[in-house]
Amino acid sequence: MPDPSDATLVVDQLVVDFATGEGPVHAVRGVSFSLAPQEVLGIVGESGSGKSVTALAAMGLLPKNARASGSITYAGRELLGLKEKELAKVRGTGIAMIFQDPMTSLNPVYKVGWQIAEAIQAHQDVGKEEALAKAVALLETVGIPNAAERVGNYPHEFSGGMRQRVVIAIAMANDPAVILADEPTTALDVTVQAQVLSSLKKALEQTRASLLLITHDLGVIAGLADRVLVMYAGRPVEIGTVEEIFYEPAMPYTHGLLGSLPRLDSDGRERLRQIPGSPRSMVGDHSGCPFAPRCPLRADICDEEEPELRPVVSAAADPAAGDGRLPAGPPHMAACHFADRVTGLPVASMFTDSAADQEGVAL
Amino acid sequence: MTGTEPLSPAPAAGESPTGAGRSDAGTEPLLSVTDLVKHYPKRGGTFVRHQVGVVHAVCGITFGINRGETLGLVGESGCGKTTAGRSVLQLIQPTSGSVRFDGRELVGLSGRAMREVRKDLQVVFQDPFASLDPRMPVGESIAEPLHIHGLWQHGSGRRRVADALSLVGLEPHYANRFPNEFSGGQRQRVGIARALILEPKLLVLDEPVSALDVSIQAGVVNLLDDLQQRLGIAYLFIAHDLSVVRHISDRVAVMYLGRIVEIGSRTDVYDHGEHPYTQALLSAVPVPDPRRERSRTHIVLEGDVPSPENPPSGCRFRTRCWKAQDICAQEVPELVDRGGGHPVACHFPESISTL
Repeated sequence: MPDPSDATLVVDQLVVDFATGEGPVHAVRGVSFSLAPQEVLGIVGESGSGKSVTALAAMGLLPKNARASGSITYAGRELLGLKEKELAKVRGTGIAMIFQDPMTSLNPVYKVGWQIAEAIQAHQDVGKEEALAKAVALLETVGIPNAAERVGNYPHEFSGGMRQRVVIAIAMANDPAVILADEPTTALDVTVQAQVLSSLKKALEQTRASLLLITHDLGVIAGLADRVLVMYAGRPVEIGTVEEIFYEPAMPYTHGLLGSLPRLDSDGRERLRQIPGSPRSMVGDHSGCPFAPRCPLRADICDEEEPELRPVVSAAADPAAGDGRLPAGPPHMAACHFADRVTGLPVASMFTDSAADQEGVAL
Repeated sequence: MTGTEPLSPAPAAGESPTGAGRSDAGTEPLLSVTDLVKHYPKRGGTFVRHQVGVVHAVCGITFGINRGETLGLVGESGCGKTTAGRSVLQLIQPTSGSVRFDGRELVGLSGRAMREVRKDLQVVFQDPFASLDPRMPVGESIAEPLHIHGLWQHGSGRRRVADALSLVGLEPHYANRFPNEFSGGQRQRVGIARALILEPKLLVLDEPVSALDVSIQAGVVNLLDDLQQRLGIAYLFIAHDLSVVRHISDRVAVMYLGRIVEIGSRTDVYDHGEHPYTQALLSAVPVPDPRRERSRTHIVLEGDVPSPENPPSGCRFRTRCWKAQDICAQEVPELVDRGGGHPVACHFPESISTL
């Protein structure tokens, strides 16, 4: 990967708090990453890990009770604190976003052709006819059959997968440099997901945009991402190439996630590994590693000191690793006091497969 | 765990503890569903509501489940898998067809007789937040089936609830807590405890782990595995997640638009799937292994699932099938066994690897 000055989107020490009746909720507690041109960075984590809030902050779409600090720069320009009018110029042309539910991003009372044309005309000096012609071409790119007729349809006349492809068409309408996709296929059936992912790949080829892909589906990440950021309790706990994360994870939480997945490609009746306990509350202040209460490797230091992201010293460089796309990238980093020990272990070997409830009562 | 009384382990897999004395226990499957059909009327009209069409939700499906076995029923939204499950439970009346359970025909059974059967035929729903009464301590929710069936006894009732809780891996003293005090995974365990307290022979699980985060889902899947081994219950496991179904099922049935297109052992369906829809479905599931995922060939289907109001003639998958010929529009492919115990409803079946 090129040096950070080439990066399109740089997030540095982003912190987002929400003011709530029960006190501040620390949704994001210091996220840093940079997105290189044409790179696909996957962000994974479970519900409440802060992955969606990170994307919303980058788009300037945080709700009013949120307070963000740190820095998010796009093409060298600071986005945090930018005026709405200035942000509107960046949205669409610089950064475009795809949300989980296409029905909330499309307006039900306008024809889809009009909605795509509106996005085009917001940033480009073209007439209505020309914008509509572009809309048809975009719908063809994302694989909508009979695009010339379908531009006259309303969103309710499309199926869920087709609506999401319309949203992708809108996202690519102004040739953005970065596309943020927040759980773009989560609500969809697998065969529809395959259609939408193939549309997304076409959109990336055509716009040459980088993609920040937020999902809890590790299979989607495995197929699409160049690098992966794993989030837990509002912080990145591990970042590395897709190969490093899947084959040499250095953070126990990453191990646990990979081990808890039932596998389509394995006939064995081997039992699933379980992460005991449940994620800690985001309200209030805590000390120590947020994963410590669920971690089989917990030691005294884990309760005292929250580990920083540090480069992992890999036990042995894997000769088969790497598909050559990102030869010398940023280092594999993990936030664990024992990362160097963890990275050599077989995936999820430190977790048990007991069926007993180990969650503890949520109060 | 201490939950061995009265939920005693089955003497042997496939033999129910209460099945003694039943002559057909060994030969007849626990559940046989034959030519099950469910059509819903579609109503419309501007001023006067009248029937304007028929939704063909389930169109003649046939399958069986043996004692102690898990059948996975997979398919995408709207394929009829949930309707099939509810028809088995008689929560909806099938339009036609037969559901035989433990030697009894359930279709047309009176409410009173059906209540008797429900002791042996229980259900766990998807949403653990919706299926528990928020104002009832979970212990009471779990005890409710005992009250309904007149099995609550002052001496043993509480103990049975405590045993059921420990059986699903929860502390017995949680009985006094309310559902809002539990996490999603724990609520689903409570739902399972409630379904198990009557010691059923068959448990219908309708998307039991879909609402849970992966790390929590693993615990519930492991629990279901354990319970089956200990108690010898049969499962009808309805889900859209093909990875979970492979993990938990002995046999798997794949549904598309109201019909079963393929049914066979786990290995038959996942490693030697012969129906083009099965193949498309499996190839669409991303595998969490980057090297393998990037070297697979993915079959991307064209178009959408046709409307169940007006399903295609002949084979229902033909409108999206890359192998479709004239015969596919004219003749419904029967779900037939070509030897090997692996029936496929396709005119041109062929085994290919999709993993």
